Amino acid sequence: MSFALEAEGLVKTYGAVRALDGLTLRIPAGGVFGVLGPNGAGKSTLFRIALGLVRPTSGTAKLFGAPAGQSSSLRRAGAMIETPRYPPYLTAREVLRMLALESGAGGTADIDYWLERVGLGGAADRKAGTFSVGMKQRLGLAAAFFTRPELVILDEPTSGMDPAGIQEIRALIRDLADKEGVTIILASHQLDEVRRVCDRVAILSKGKLAAEGDVEALTGGKPRLRLTVSPVDKALAVLGDKGEAEGPNAVLADVLRAETPALIRALVEAGVDIIEARWREADLESAYLGALEPKDLVDAR
Amino acid sequence: MLADAIAAERFRLSRDRVALFWGFGFMPLVAMLFSMAGDLFVRLVLRKGVPGETTVDLANRAMGAVAGASGPITALFLLIGAAAIFAGDYRWETWRLITPRNHRVNLLAAKLIVFAEAAAWSLLLTAVTAVLAGLFGSVVNHGRLVGPPTGFLGHFAGVFIITWLEVLLIGALAALVGVLTRSTLGAVIAGLVTVFVQSTLAATMQDTTWKSLAIPAYAGRILKTFLTAPVGFRPEAGPAGLALVLLLVWLVVLAGGATALFRRQDLTKE
Repeated sequence: MSFALEAEGLVKTYGAVRALDGLTLRIPAGGVFGVLGPNGAGKSTLFRIALGLVRPTSGTAKLFGAPAGQSSSLRRAGAMIETPRYPPYLTAREVLRMLALESGAGGTADIDYWLERVGLGGAADRKAGTFSVGMKQRLGLAAAFFTRPELVILDEPTSGMDPAGIQEIRALIRDLADKEGVTIILASHQLDEVRRVCDRVAILSKGKLAAEGDVEALTGGKPRLRLTVSPVDKALAVLGDKGEAEGPNAVLADVLRAETPALIRALVEAGVDIIEARWREADLESAYLGALEPKDLVDAR
Repeated sequence: MLADAIAAERFRLSRDRVALFWGFGFMPLVAMLFSMAGDLFVRLVLRKGVPGETTVDLANRAMGAVAGASGPITALFLLIGAAAIFAGDYRWETWRLITPRNHRVNLLAAKLIVFAEAAAWSLLLTAVTAVLAGLFGSVVNHGRLVGPPTGFLGHFAGVFIITWLEVLLIGALAALVGVLTRSTLGAVIAGLVTVFVQSTLAATMQDTTWKSLAIPAYAGRILKTFLTAPVGFRPEAGPAGLALVLLLVWLVVLAGGATALFRRQDLTKE
C-alpha cells in the first residue's frame, strides 16, 4: 500500500507546549481521510509540518515517501491551512495567477474553470481582501485544487460557509476523490461532515493518535431504521434476521432506504402498529467522544 | 524554480500600487516637484531672476540626484517598499498560501531580486525626473543648457551602480529585520535607525581606514568621489577598492542572513 502522508514519532514543542507528542500515523493514498480532534489536538501542526511550514522537534514526516517540506513532494500537494488569507491588493483571479506562477504552472492552470467550480465566477475580479469568510474559504479551495495535485490537505474547509455552500463543497470533495482520484486529507470539527465525506478517520488527542479506522467501523456500521412499534415480537417476526429489539417497544432494522416503504407495508399488513419510524445515522460522535479522555474535552473548551 | 518565484513576485509587486508608489515612485516625483517649485519661486517671487546668465547642466543634475538617492530621507521611502516586499507575507499571513509552492530559498531570493529591479527603476526615474526638472528650470528662468562633460556616461554608470548597491543594502537590511521581527513596521523603523546612524557616522569621519570604510554610507561616498573625479585628480584606487569589497560583503552578509534565517523559520501563524 502506498501512503500519501506518513508521520513517525512526530514531536513538536512550542516552549512548554507539546503540540505533537510522538504521533505515528499513516494515511493511505486514495479516498478521503478525516482527521478529528479537539482544539489543540495537533491537527494543524501535523499539516504545517507536512507542508514544510514548521519543522518537527523530532520524528519524521513524509509526503509520498519523500521528506515533507521538500519541493519534489510539495509539487504533488495542494493545501488550505486554517482560514486562508490573501494580499488585500489582489483580486481572486490574481491570487490564483500569482500562485500558478509561484508553482510553475503559469500557463497550464485553468483559473477561470476553478473559480466557476467553487462558485466565485462572478467575484473573480473583486479584491480577495473584501471577501466574506465563506468566499475566502472557496478561494482557498480553488487555490488548493487548481494545479490538479495528487494530494490535497484541507483544514476546516467549510467553516464560515452557509448550508448550501457546505453541501456544494462536500460534493466537490467527494467528486474529486471518486472521479479524479485525488487523495484528500480533511480536518474538521463537524463530525457530521466527516461521517458524510470521509472513508477513513483518525482521532487525535493531545498530539497523539487516539483512534483510527474506517468510518463505518468506528461508527458501528451503516445507518439503521428505528421503529417504535407494538407489539415488538410481531415486528421482529416480520423483520427476521434483519431486525433487533431495542428496549420494550422499539426495533432496529438493517434495511436500505429504498426498502423502507415495502417494510412498513409488510409490518402494517402483519398487524403491527407503527408509532414512529426514524433513521438513526451512524454515530461518529460516540466514537469520537469515546476516544477522548474527559479531561481532553474540558481542556479543549 | 527561482524563475517561477521571480515571476510571481514581480506580478505581485506590479499589483501592489501602494508599495510601488510610496516605495519607489514618490521620492523621485517629489524631488522633481520641489525643484520645479523652486524655479517658479525664483521666477515669480524674486521676479528679476538670478543675475547674469544662468546655465543648466542636465547631466550633472541627473548624476547628483542619483548620487543622493541613498540618503536617509529617500531610505525611509525605499524601506516602505522593501518592507512591503519582505515582510508583507507576515503582515497578511500569506506565507502558508505561498511557502508550499516553491523552495524557501527561491522565495526570498526572488524578493531580493525583485527589490533590486524596482530599486533600479526608481533610480532611473530619479535621473529622468531630475532632467525634466532641469528642463523646466531652464525654460522658466531662461537658463542655457550645457552639454554633458567628457566621460559623463562612464561616471554616471559608476555612480548609478554604487548608489544602487547602497540601496540594495537597505533592502537586504529590511529583509533581515523583516524576517527576524515578522513585522513591516519593524523592518522600516530598524532600517531607518540604522541608515540614519551610519549616515551621521559617515559624515563625521575624517580618515579613510578600514573601520570607516566598513560604514556603508562612507564607503559609498569614497567610491562616488573616486569615480567622478576628473582624470589627473583621481584619488588612490586602494581605498575605493576596499570600499567596494566591504559594500559587497555587507550585502552578502545581510541577504545571506535573511535567507538562512527564513529557511529554518517556523511559520506557525503566517
